[in-house]
Amino acid sequence: MNRAARSFFLILLTLLVPAAFPAAPVQEAAPNTLGFEFQEYRLRNGLRVILSADDRLPLVTVVVAYGAGTVRERPGQEGLAFLLENLMFRGSENVSPLQHVGFVQKVGGDLNATTTPDRTLFFQNLPSNSLALALWLESDRMKSLVITPAAIEITRTDLIREHQERLASDPYLGSFAWFDALLYPDDFYGHSLINAGEEMKGLTEKDVLDFHRTYYVPNNAVLCIVGNIDIAETRELVARYFDTIPPGYDVPALPVPAFRQDGEVVRKLSAVQASSFGFHLGFRFYPLQTGDVYSLKILEYLLLKGETSRLRNRLLRRDLMAHYLSGGLESRGGVLGLKIFCLNNNADMVERSERAILSEIDKLRKIPVSPDELAKVKKLFKMDYLRSQSTNLGRAIFLVDAAFSGKLMSALGTELDKYMKVNAPTLTGLINRHFTPRNRVILELGRK
Amino acid sequence: MNRTSRVRPGRVLCLLVLAAAAASPTSAGAQERFRRTPPLPAAQPQELRLPRIERVSLSNGLTVATAYRSGSPLVTLQLVVRAGEVDSPPERPGVAALTARMIGKGTKLLSAGAIEDMVESMGADYSVDVLMDYTVFTFHVLDESLERALFVLKSMVLDAQFTERELGSLKRTAYNELSDRKKNPEFLGWRQFLRALFENHPYQTATYAGDVIKFISTKDVTSFYDRYYRPDNAVILVAGAIDGAAVGKRIIFHFANWVGQPVDRAVLAPPPANARDRVCYVEDPEAVDATVFIGNVIMAASDPDFFPFLVLKQVLGGTTQSRLFMNLRESKGYAYYAFSQTEFFRSCGVFWARARVTPEFIAPAVREIAREIKDMSIEGANPAEVEEAKSFLIGNLPARFESLEGFAEWMARVVALGLDEGQWDKGPERLKLVTVERVRAAAQQYLSGKPLVVIVGRPEWLDRYLREFEAIEVYDNSGALKTTLRKGEPR
Repeated sequence: MNRAARSFFLILLTLLVPAAFPAAPVQEAAPNTLGFEFQEYRLRNGLRVILSADDRLPLVTVVVAYGAGTVRERPGQEGLAFLLENLMFRGSENVSPLQHVGFVQKVGGDLNATTTPDRTLFFQNLPSNSLALALWLESDRMKSLVITPAAIEITRTDLIREHQERLASDPYLGSFAWFDALLYPDDFYGHSLINAGEEMKGLTEKDVLDFHRTYYVPNNAVLCIVGNIDIAETRELVARYFDTIPPGYDVPALPVPAFRQDGEVVRKLSAVQASSFGFHLGFRFYPLQTGDVYSLKILEYLLLKGETSRLRNRLLRRDLMAHYLSGGLESRGGVLGLKIFCLNNNADMVERSERAILSEIDKLRKIPVSPDELAKVKKLFKMDYLRSQSTNLGRAIFLVDAAFSGKLMSALGTELDKYMKVNAPTLTGLINRHFTPRNRVILELGRK
Repeated sequence: MNRTSRVRPGRVLCLLVLAAAAASPTSAGAQERFRRTPPLPAAQPQELRLPRIERVSLSNGLTVATAYRSGSPLVTLQLVVRAGEVDSPPERPGVAALTARMIGKGTKLLSAGAIEDMVESMGADYSVDVLMDYTVFTFHVLDESLERALFVLKSMVLDAQFTERELGSLKRTAYNELSDRKKNPEFLGWRQFLRALFENHPYQTATYAGDVIKFISTKDVTSFYDRYYRPDNAVILVAGAIDGAAVGKRIIFHFANWVGQPVDRAVLAPPPANARDRVCYVEDPEAVDATVFIGNVIMAASDPDFFPFLVLKQVLGGTTQSRLFMNLRESKGYAYYAFSQTEFFRSCGVFWARARVTPEFIAPAVREIAREIKDMSIEGANPAEVEEAKSFLIGNLPARFESLEGFAEWMARVVALGLDEGQWDKGPERLKLVTVERVRAAAQQYLSGKPLVVIVGRPEWLDRYLREFEAIEVYDNSGALKTTLRKGEPR
C-alpha cells in the first residue's frame, strides 16, 4: 500500500469506526480518603481503564469487566450471561481452549470470573512482572474470542450438570431463583444466573453470538489494574494490547424496569426436600432518590450485620424462633433489593419470624435509631468497606463496580463520608418511602 | 459471525471495501505480530519484603510481637496461646476447643451479651481458631479502636469466668455444629484420615466426635485454662500501620498483671508413617460422589526437605495442570477434581491427595492416585515439571501475605511454632535452589511407604464398587468402626 492509499485508508478507518471515542485526557483523581490513589482514562475504542499503584507486595491484579450481566438477557434467555462468562475460557485466536488457566497458573497466579445482574467480571492475580501476560490473554479474548457450536454445547452441558448437582445437594438453592422472579417481576430484572437450566438449553448459537457481539466489546468494558505497577509503563502496555481492538456498536441502554406488582405478594413453595421450614422475605427499591443508596446500606447493617443487629438479635438470640438467618442488599442496574432468608423448625415459627421482621421494620418508622446504635452500625460498615479494599482484587472490584454504577469516579474519595453522614431522620424517611406492601414479597418454603 | 454492518459500501473501490471491513465492529483485521505468542515476564520478580516481626518480653513472661504494615487503617490484634487440641486430656478430647470458645462468654463483671456488644460496637471482626498445637484469638479492628480492643481482649482472657449455663449452651452449639459437619464428606474424610494416621499419637485427640462433648465440665475447662492460659505460654501480636513502641506500652498497661506460671509442655515425637495397606471407608448415606484421601505423615515445616517437598506436592497435584488432575479428570474422567495438599504441625506434617470421584470409578481412581504417588517416589519429577512448579510457588508466595487474614495467620504460625520468619522472605531463593535431585530424594524418603486410604461414600457403594480391596475398615459418620470387610468373605 503506498503512502496515499495508506492515508486514505486511515481516514476511512477513522470515519467508519462506528463508535469511536476521543482519546480522553487522563483524569487525575481528586485527593481522597480511600487510602489509595487511582487514575482513570479511556482508549479510543471506548475501553475505560483504571490504574492504581501499590508497591507493598510484588503482585498485580488485572480485572476486565463487561456490562454483560443477567439484566442484559432478553425474556427466554436466562443463563446466557453465565454461558458467555464460561465461553471466555474456551479459547481465542492465539490461546487454545482452557490454555488461559494454564498460562496464569504457570507463573503462580490465580484467576476466576463472576457474573452478577450488572456485569461479568474476569480477574487474574499474578506476580507483577507477569502483568503483560494477563493483558495479552485478556486482549486476545476481547479481540478474537472463538465461539463454536461445539464449545457452546460442551460449556452448556457442563454448566447445567454442575448446577443440577448443586440443586441436588442444596434443597433451598432452587427457591432463590423463584424468589428473584417474584421480587423483580419484570422481563429483565428477575433473571437468576441459571435457574434450572431450562432456558439455557434452548439458547441458539445466534443468541450467543448476538449477545457476545453486542456486549463483549471494549466500549462496554472496564479494565482495572491494581498492584505493583509503574503507571507510565502500564499505560504503554495497555495501549499496546487494547488500543487496536475495534469498538462495537453503541451499547443499548439498560432496560427500564417495569415491575408488575400492585400489593404485597405472598407465595408458598411446598416441594422443598429439606428438614427445615423457612422463607424468603424481600423489599424492592425503585426508583431511588439521591442518597438512598447510602441510607439503604446503613439500614442493611442495622438490620442484618453482626450478631447484635436488630433482626439477628430478635430472631436468633432473643426469641429463638429461627435457627438460620442471612440476607443483604443487592443491586440490579438501578434497582436495589433487600433480601432475607430464614430457616425455622416449624410453620408456626415461620409465621412468627415473618411478623417479627415486619415489626422490627415498623419500629424504625416510629422510634428513631439511637446515636449509639447508629455509631455501632457505621463502624461495622466502615470496617467492611475498608477491608473490602485491602487487597488488590478487592480494590479492583470496588473500582470496577463504581465505574459500572455510574458513580462519579472523582468523588469516590468522599464516598465513605456519605455513608457516615446517614442519620436517624434519613432512615425513618427511607423506611416510610420504600418499605411498603407494594414493594414487599414473601416466599414461604414448606416441606414436601 | 452474523454481521449487520451499518456501512453500505455500494459501488466503491476495493480499498474502500477493505477499509470498511477493517473498521467493522466485528472484524479483527490483520493480527499484530505481538499477539501471536505470550509475552515473557518483564524482569525478575520484585523481591518479597515482609515486615519484620519485632518481639519484646514482659516481666511476667508474655511476649509482645508487632509488625508494621502500611497502607491501611485496619489493625490485627491476636493472642496466641501455645495450647491446642493436642493438649486436651486424652480422656477429654475437645477440652481445648471448648475452653477457647468459652473465652468471651462472660467475665466477673461482664456477661457474654455485653462482651458481644462491646466487640460489635468497635466494628471488630472477632474469631477464635483452635488448631492442633495452638489457639489464636483474633480481632481485626479500625486503628481508632485498638485501645478498646486491647481492653476487651484483656477482660475476656484475664477475667474469664466459666459458668455452667454458658458451657451448657456452648456444648449444645458445638454438638449441633459437629452434627452438621457430619453431612460434609470432606470433613468426614479429613477426620478419619487424621484419626487413622495418628492412631497411637496425642494428635488423635483433635479428631473428637460429638459424643464426647457432653462429658466436658466447667472443672475440665477451668483446669485447662489455669494450666495453659498463662503469659509465659502466650504471645500478643499486633500488625498494622502502628507505632510498635507505643502499642507495646499499652499492652504492658493491660497485661502486666497477668500472673505467670511456668507451663510444662513437652515436645512430641513425630508419629511413624503408615506402613501397611489400610483402607478406611466412612459411610455417608447422602453422598453424591465419593471423596478420597490418600496420604501419609511427612516432615515438619522446619525440616530442610520442606521446600523440595512443596515442589514435589505441586508437581503431583498443586493445580489443574498437575499430574493428578490431568490424569484423573482430564484423561481418565474418574474424578471431578484431584489435588494434593500438605499441613504442618509442631512435630510433623501430613501430605495427602484428595479427589472427588464418580462412584463407579472409586477403585480405579484409588489405584491411579496410588500409582501416581508410587511413580513419584521412584522417578521423581522431570526438570520441566520442577521448573514449572518452582515458578508457580515463587510467583504465588506473596499472595499468601496480601490479605489481613493471610498475614495474621502467617504471623501467628511463625510465633506459635517457633518458625524462622526469614524462611518466607527467603522463600523464593530457597525454592530456586531446589533441584530435580532434591525433589527425587524427598519423594523417595516420604512417599515410598504405604499411604493410608480413606474413602467417604454411600453404604451401598461398598458392595457395588469396592470388592477388589483386600480389607476395608467401615466406619459410620460419627467415626465408630462398624466392621472390617475382607475380600472373598460374604458381605
